[in-house]
Amino acid sequence: MHRIAVAPSRKTLSSFWKAHGALTLLILLIACTAAASAEDSSQPKTSPFSIRVTHLLGFAGAPTNANGTLTIEADALQFQKSGKSVVQVRIGSIQNISLGDQSKQVGGLPMTLGKAAVPFGGGRAVSLFAHKKYDTLTLEYLDADSGVHGAIFQLNQGQGETLKSELVAKGAHVRDGNDNTKESAAEVSSENK
Amino acid sequence: MKTSKQILLLMVTAAAVTINVGHPLRLSAQDSTAKSSSESSKSSSQQWSVQVDKVDPGEVNLEPSFQVAIYEDLFDELSKTKRFKQVLRDGDRNAGEVSDLLILKTTVEKYTAGSETKRAVTTVSGATKLTVRSQLCTRDGGIILELTINGNVRFMGSNLRATHNLARNVAKAIKQSPLPEPSHSASHAAIDSDQVVLVELR
Repeated sequence: MHRIAVAPSRKTLSSFWKAHGALTLLILLIACTAAASAEDSSQPKTSPFSIRVTHLLGFAGAPTNANGTLTIEADALQFQKSGKSVVQVRIGSIQNISLGDQSKQVGGLPMTLGKAAVPFGGGRAVSLFAHKKYDTLTLEYLDADSGVHGAIFQLNQGQGETLKSELVAKGAHVRDGNDNTKESAAEVSSENK
Repeated sequence: MKTSKQILLLMVTAAAVTINVGHPLRLSAQDSTAKSSSESSKSSSQQWSVQVDKVDPGEVNLEPSFQVAIYEDLFDELSKTKRFKQVLRDGDRNAGEVSDLLILKTTVEKYTAGSETKRAVTTVSGATKLTVRSQLCTRDGGIILELTINGNVRFMGSNLRATHNLARNVAKAIKQSPLPEPSHSASHAAIDSDQVVLVELR
């Protein structure tokens, strides 16, 4: 048995060092990313909360039945209709928030005209499928003279609770007894049947 | 014969002139009287200011959105009537400085929750109905006007449109109702029950 000892060639050695360097870089990169993400989660989010809504009535200075964006920026609740100036109230001045729901016809005037054009009263059947459920968010807030204002916003289903909790977290007040709103409304409607 | 004809013609002309001159005068006098009476009633009622109180749901389980919508619509509609010098909101701290202030209290008496979908599909069911009792009171609690008003949506429109119709009816009834002159006794003492104006719109 003859053993031949072969010295490692220069080429193999350099490839080993290259692979080692790449591995070190990869580990460093992973460590940096993990540290950065940990830093992000420890700091509070600074981006403002924003949501698409329809202002139904009452928000001082905003047009009624206007689509726009509701934003929570610092300690203010702002509503902006696209292309118009921002109107806002202090979140601390909000005295009560309550949630509700309602169904509304989608499609606007074209849908109404389309339904009217369907022969033999077929438009009524279309109505069954042309309605969508929305959340409503009702705010009561005070102006600079302590006068009570009320505002109603219409949101996509499920967004009302999110917005309410964001506002409460920022210092909006909620009176007791608002949780049974939907229940009481259901009671009223069942009484009427 | 000729002379008598001339006299007759003269008399007819004189009569025509008298009628033409007298009638417009009388008309203008009537106009000015009517105008002055309407102005005086307008000015007397415009001396009042009104503060809109938050809506009391009473024993009815009314959704908060409806309470707020009635309150806001009442404020808007009363401002539009121009019957009052100032229209103030509930809790407004400037109300203390206003001398002749009436307070509009609204209590919900009946509420039938409707459905827009039902209305669209059936036409005959799903109406949203609201009945409220509105009272115009002085600061001392004396009632000078009491109204029972309905607001409904039967065919087209969202449920909240009932509050708009209701507020419009309340404002219309208040506009058409006579209010007493704002005086020290009227604004600071309770008014006799004989003076209360009761209006019921069905």
